[in-house]
Amino acid sequence: MTVRLTLFGLITSLFVGLVYVMTKPVIIEAKEQARQEKLYLLAAPLLANGRIASPVQRELPDDAPASFEHPLSITPIVTDAEQLGVVLPITALQGYSGPIQLLLALDQQQRIVGVRAIEHRETPGLGDRIETRKSDWMLAFNGLRYDDLAPDDWAVQNDGGQFDSFTGATITPRAVVDALKETLAYLARHPVILEASP
Amino acid sequence: MKLSTVWLDGLWDRNPGLIQLLGLCPLLAVSNTLENAIGLGLATLFVLVLSNASISLIRTLVDDAIRLPIFVLVIAALTTCAELLVQALDYQLYQSLGIFLPLIVTNCLILGRAEALAKRETIVMSTIDGLAQGLGFFLVLVSLGALREWMSGTLILAALPPGAFIALGLLVAIHQWIQGKLKQKPTEQSMDQTNRRVRTTGDIS
Repeated sequence: MTVRLTLFGLITSLFVGLVYVMTKPVIIEAKEQARQEKLYLLAAPLLANGRIASPVQRELPDDAPASFEHPLSITPIVTDAEQLGVVLPITALQGYSGPIQLLLALDQQQRIVGVRAIEHRETPGLGDRIETRKSDWMLAFNGLRYDDLAPDDWAVQNDGGQFDSFTGATITPRAVVDALKETLAYLARHPVILEASP
Repeated sequence: MKLSTVWLDGLWDRNPGLIQLLGLCPLLAVSNTLENAIGLGLATLFVLVLSNASISLIRTLVDDAIRLPIFVLVIAALTTCAELLVQALDYQLYQSLGIFLPLIVTNCLILGRAEALAKRETIVMSTIDGLAQGLGFFLVLVSLGALREWMSGTLILAALPPGAFIALGLLVAIHQWIQGKLKQKPTEQSMDQTNRRVRTTGDIS
């Protein structure tokens, strides 16, 4: 009986593995395309005068917060003469159901041009209001610099900050705000990370 | 069991969405737009047909003690495959279905059909039953999606969660009304039949 159960487990795993291997390249491509589309939408204000340059890989020092990927891949928005801003991926690790992947666009003064959730598993109807097609919550960050707010204001209202905490799902917005705060604070101290040609 | 009964049961007489009221969670949650409804309906149909077929295929190898773990294993594997396939074929749909795609695994309709029919019927019969029940579910999901999307233009309530309950109630009522018209002059026997509780699961061991 146990043997039979194990055997069935092996067969089904093998089957799933097969489908996984077959779909993997297509999924990676689809994800990349979805990311590109989001990137265009996010950087739209900058793209009025500029264009998207090819991504630059950055090795970060060890003290960089966990919200950065290693190495960090930044996508500069440039004109022929100068850099206008940059788009970079960040991750809010403390999401309710695993990490929340965000895409953040900054201008040269490190002012937020836009930020979007690109992948997450938050609860439908509660935590998923971080998506811009569900609510305008994410737009509250637009135009902000790290210095614009006192450090304590970079938090959800439940924690004494100024960003709306969703009723019944505070963990999700808290994860996003905390990740943004951490990222922006670090970048303010190390602006050179965002320079495509330092 | 006759093939025509299987088709009629799935699509009308014992429709999973309108009579058995199975799989209500995805039915209500994902029916806010037509596109989502079609996507989840097709994914559920895919899992249901394949799970019915494969459970029927292995029915002689499975005894009662390991029956449920193996059914769950098969359904979980098929749902994972469905999730991967949707992700590969239409990434946007995958994102808008979100958690409801992996949650197909908990749709009681699928385990229900495995228990009620696929574990003792032939492959052909089980596959057709999967098709019939899956299509029945698909059609209700799509009608709900279409109804809600169409109405949400004028009535914002239709797009919100309560709208899903109201719209489903409406569809159930229409179904009952038509059913009543069809059986205008019920004989004693058919009265008895309509009042019988619908049996959706198999035996308990």
